[in-house]
Amino acid sequence: MATRGIERTDLGDGSVSHEGFLRHRNYRWLKIAASLSLIALVGYALIDVQPRPNGGSWYGYLLGTIGAGLILWLTALGVRKRAMTRRKWSLKAWTSAHVYLGLSLIVIATLHSGFQFGWNIHTLAYALMMAVILSGTYGIWAYAFLPARLSDNRSEMTGAQMIDAVASIDKQIQISAQPLSDEDSAIVLGSLGEDPFGGGLYRRLAGSGSRGANAAGLKLLRRRLAQSQGAEALALDQVAVLMQRKAGALNRIRRHVRIRAMLEIWLFVHVPLTFALIAALSAHIVSVFFYW
Amino acid sequence: MAFLLRSISRSADGREIVRESRVEDNILRIGRDPVCDIRLNDLAVALHHATIELVGEGQLGVSAEMGMTIEIDGNATGFGQIALHAGGDIRVGPFLLRILPTPAGVQDVSIDIERGEDDALSEKVDVGRFALASVMPGKRPIAWVSALAILAIFLAWPIWSFYQGRTEAGRYAQAYHADRLWLSGSLSRGHASLGDNCQACHVQPFVSVRDEACAACHVGIHDHADPRRLAQASPNLSGLRRLQMRVGTWLGQDPGRCVDCHTEHEGPQQIPPTPQRFCADCHGDLRARLPDTRLAGASDFEDSHPEFQPLVLISWNGEQPLLERVPLNRHPREMSNLKFPHALHLDPRGGAAQMGRRLRGRHGFGDSLVCADCHVPTPDGTRFQPPDMEGDCGMCHSLAFDAIDGTIRTLRHGSPAQVIGDLRALYRAGGPQRPVELSAGARARPGDVAQIRAAVQYARARAGIGSRADRAIRGVFSQGGACFDCHEVVQPPAGSLNYGIRPIAFPTRYMLHGWFDHRDHQIMQRPGQPRLEGPAACAGCHRAPASNSSRDLLLPNLASCRDCHGGETTRLPVASTCAMCHDYHMDQGTPAMLLRQRVRGRRWETTAIPVHLGPPPPAAARQ
Repeated sequence: MATRGIERTDLGDGSVSHEGFLRHRNYRWLKIAASLSLIALVGYALIDVQPRPNGGSWYGYLLGTIGAGLILWLTALGVRKRAMTRRKWSLKAWTSAHVYLGLSLIVIATLHSGFQFGWNIHTLAYALMMAVILSGTYGIWAYAFLPARLSDNRSEMTGAQMIDAVASIDKQIQISAQPLSDEDSAIVLGSLGEDPFGGGLYRRLAGSGSRGANAAGLKLLRRRLAQSQGAEALALDQVAVLMQRKAGALNRIRRHVRIRAMLEIWLFVHVPLTFALIAALSAHIVSVFFYW
Repeated sequence: MAFLLRSISRSADGREIVRESRVEDNILRIGRDPVCDIRLNDLAVALHHATIELVGEGQLGVSAEMGMTIEIDGNATGFGQIALHAGGDIRVGPFLLRILPTPAGVQDVSIDIERGEDDALSEKVDVGRFALASVMPGKRPIAWVSALAILAIFLAWPIWSFYQGRTEAGRYAQAYHADRLWLSGSLSRGHASLGDNCQACHVQPFVSVRDEACAACHVGIHDHADPRRLAQASPNLSGLRRLQMRVGTWLGQDPGRCVDCHTEHEGPQQIPPTPQRFCADCHGDLRARLPDTRLAGASDFEDSHPEFQPLVLISWNGEQPLLERVPLNRHPREMSNLKFPHALHLDPRGGAAQMGRRLRGRHGFGDSLVCADCHVPTPDGTRFQPPDMEGDCGMCHSLAFDAIDGTIRTLRHGSPAQVIGDLRALYRAGGPQRPVELSAGARARPGDVAQIRAAVQYARARAGIGSRADRAIRGVFSQGGACFDCHEVVQPPAGSLNYGIRPIAFPTRYMLHGWFDHRDHQIMQRPGQPRLEGPAACAGCHRAPASNSSRDLLLPNLASCRDCHGGETTRLPVASTCAMCHDYHMDQGTPAMLLRQRVRGRRWETTAIPVHLGPPPPAAARQ
């Protein structure tokens, strides 16, 4: 939360500064995964499978077995992550291995397929796997960049404070709007009823920007302000200023909601699709041996 | 009467704050407007929202302004009444106006005014709504639904359809089956029609495709060799290949299955040409593992291939030709019993050429005789029909011995006894007439020599009627006679003139296990040499123009082929794998590779017409 601006502290020799899971142990798992992929590629290039490379050759079975094993192991992170430990098999090491071995699956599974794709269970399993990997890659990006944006947006406020800010502006609007006519108060009422959290997944991801009842009401109110005079104009002006402030507060909440959605959406793909993938993988394996 | 108003609000710690006021009137105006009797400060309330008034004895009338609504005792309405003795609730916007029960006779009506709980506000403070999870179905339900759907559609359904197919075998082949969802790749073109019928090959679940499934349709396919010997001949595998095979066998995949080579689901393609390694693995050093094999080692046509071993008629056992495969480097002689010097016939300046020119009008000869004048290709163009006397030799070599009223009588070819009989009959009838070309018995041959010889024979024949027939018969079967020049004559027993003729035979096919297509060699050019066509192309391989004896076996040897044909990878003009000439599934047809390249259809057998020597047909010659 309020950790921005703190310089990385030099803790001196012997102390461990923060090292992310991507750089864990000087990219150990990146090296391992890259070697694995390279070996698979070289094997693919050297081994002359007739009539053309396919998953049913001995090399295909080998790659398939490695791939399936990797998928199951990668899935186990879901269990493993619930227990944070240190040292060699720390959770960080697991996560690092999860990321890089997961990426190496792109090479291994593609070579396993022998680049033969079709409308069948086999390609479905492949497509699901790729979707899981892609969502995971997106997740790495999201976790690397979005928290900073989230932090920038919140300006040291908590979520509850953001909501409170809107609520308190609402109260002020409520008071200031008392002298307004019934037509004008209907406009203001629309603003008061606006739910900044409204809308489903798409609205959250797309970000509604300055649209919404408050923004629309503000526009109408300004038009009314231009036409009115005297005490009414004074009251309208006061409400408009408040609604303008509310728009800012609402936008902050909306941006927050949007960044949160971008930060969290990948898990809604990554996790359920992993289970869909395991189902497809099971069907793929059973089908291959059923019709051997 | 008066209204006693109690406005109730709550402090932050929940304490009630009550403000009381009194309105001396029979009518109460409710709204946001400061002039209203009950002022409700909320934008949900109109400036003038509703009115309460006493309408009768003990009855309060509550009416909303035009377009406004209120709730009386929970019912949304525009107008309603409340009995004073019972009291009631009126809700205006977020406010609750509670009319307290007023006993009869009491003049003041007490009304409690309280702002209701703002549910919306408390909902807005729910920080959980920032999370995406607040608008998404849970990850677990999505995972369960999608996983179960996939298992149902892609696993359970196809398995169900498999067992369904077993019970409805008749209709099965035509309809859609869910096991198509498992189809890993299109079938080859030849098997495309089986695309909807997985069970045609995948007969039992979890059992790999067996040869019996293939043999159910492919009934005419020959085994490569006896399976036991085949296994014995298999090369000593490398560690990896041995492990592979062991794992395969353990999993029920015996080596040598049809599908080992004929892989399927590789897309709509032709089966690719068999790589050379496939053959060379076993045949490279076959003797090392199969000591009794008669096949020499071969692993590459250019570097390691034995000399051709054509089937040669090496001798005769009585009437039966004896055929044996002899390597060409042993220079086998062909004992066909036919006398035919190719050189004599092909010499462009010789008598044969001269006669050909003379008969050009009748038979279409060129300046000299060429191969094609006698050798007629089979309809498929691959090989040649055996030449026959009447059609080929007979163009020049007449068997005429007599002419009666312009009708020429000929000796019966193929029947020596008939020839003898015909000649005796001729002389018994009163001596020879002057024959068409001087003599009847002698073959008409170009040149003066023949005529002189005929004259001598004629003179002999006339010398004595009784012995003239005998002499004519002897003449025909002796050197210079019609039969003798082409045939091996069997001398008669002493005191008899029953001459015989040795039968003639040629193998229909010299290269039993190889394939050679003459069509592909009609135009020939060896590296660095001129391009040859027509008879020159024939002579480019077959040295007929230099052959003075029909015992010369005019087959080109390995070295001759190697001028153009190299191994699988070669710098020579024609890269040739084993499959270009040999077929794994041995039979007499075209190798499958050529067949696929060229005709895309049925495998054909040879169209050469086999020679029959009369009963019994020699079995060896028909191979």
